[in-house]
Amino acid sequence: MIIPVRCFTCGKLIGDRWEEFARRIRTGENASDILDSLGIKRYCCRRMILSNVEIIDEILRFYEEAEKRREARNMY
Amino acid sequence: MKIEVLEKDETNLRLSIKEADVPLMNALRRIALAEVPSMAIDEVVMIENSSILQDEMIAHRLGLTPLKTDLDGYNLPEECKCQSEFGCSLCRVTLTMDADSTEGTRTVYSGELVSENPQIIPVSDKVPLLKLAKGQKLKLEAYARLGKGKNHAKWQPVSVCAYKYFPKIELLSEQCKDCAKCVDICPKKVLAMKENKVEVRDLLACNLCMDCVDACPQKPSAIKVEWEKDAFIMNIESSGALPPERIIQEATKILDKQLKEFEEQLKVGVK
Ligand SMILES: [Zn+2]
Ligand SMILES: [Zn+2]
Repeated sequence: MIIPVRCFTCGKLIGDRWEEFARRIRTGENASDILDSLGIKRYCCRRMILSNVEIIDEILRFYEEAEKRREARNMY
Repeated sequence: MKIEVLEKDETNLRLSIKEADVPLMNALRRIALAEVPSMAIDEVVMIENSSILQDEMIAHRLGLTPLKTDLDGYNLPEECKCQSEFGCSLCRVTLTMDADSTEGTRTVYSGELVSENPQIIPVSDKVPLLKLAKGQKLKLEAYARLGKGKNHAKWQPVSVCAYKYFPKIELLSEQCKDCAKCVDICPKKVLAMKENKVEVRDLLACNLCMDCVDACPQKPSAIKVEWEKDAFIMNIESSGALPPERIIQEATKILDKQLKEFEEQLKVGVK
């Protein structure tokens, strides 16, 4: 749904590193290098970030669409 | 006992401990994991939540967000004088959040939590808690208290607290043919080749897997991996709630308290 706050296995805080990871991976940087530079060493924490899909963005699209329609209706 | 600091920064501490034994090391490890208190949000009152995440899920994410802890200023709720279900100013911190989105979708971060005590704030203010689409609102009041890791993992002050034996690697140079098989197989890159000779590059990284011993074509093996019986390397990684050295100090205090209690009860029992 949304990036977990902590690693499921060891409990390290990883949520705060997600956005930087997502931004840098879009520029084509190597995932392993980004994780190293973010200080995420163990493979339990690395998979949390590496395998995350922000499904919340997909769901929020429906609400954004609904809001647009509501605004359009109010215009006329 | 001799303690040497190998590495130290605000969240990590690596110690070399000599002349100690396993029962002591394990007691300290287990106390650091399960008994050293830290602060975490425990109860959340939702005033308004029109986001797409359920109340429970937001409460859970708030609970897991580590908070900077002030152990001297706060009491454990069960040990507090107030003995109140709701807590008092000495055993509870109130945090509030009032977030809405007026323009497009936005992310709400842990930094938007407003604490009544500016000392008790999230360790990182960049933790994404939820996302709000335009027009959605979140208003809540959260109560943080001290707790122990044995009750919920959110109260664990450490993510890693582990120890291992101090490694001892012996290279028998007269038997070694310098084939470098042991260098290639080591997963921690402990060994290296220097001027066509095998040498130990990073002894502390060795995790005693013995792959190098098995990989050696000589019989008997030209490399011997052993460990010191009374020396350990301890690694403490704090969640950020407390400095790592404070965690281990608290662990020793708690162990001391438990032993004193044991001694007293024993005296009463066998009188
Ligand atoms: Zn982990
Ligand atoms: Zn109280």
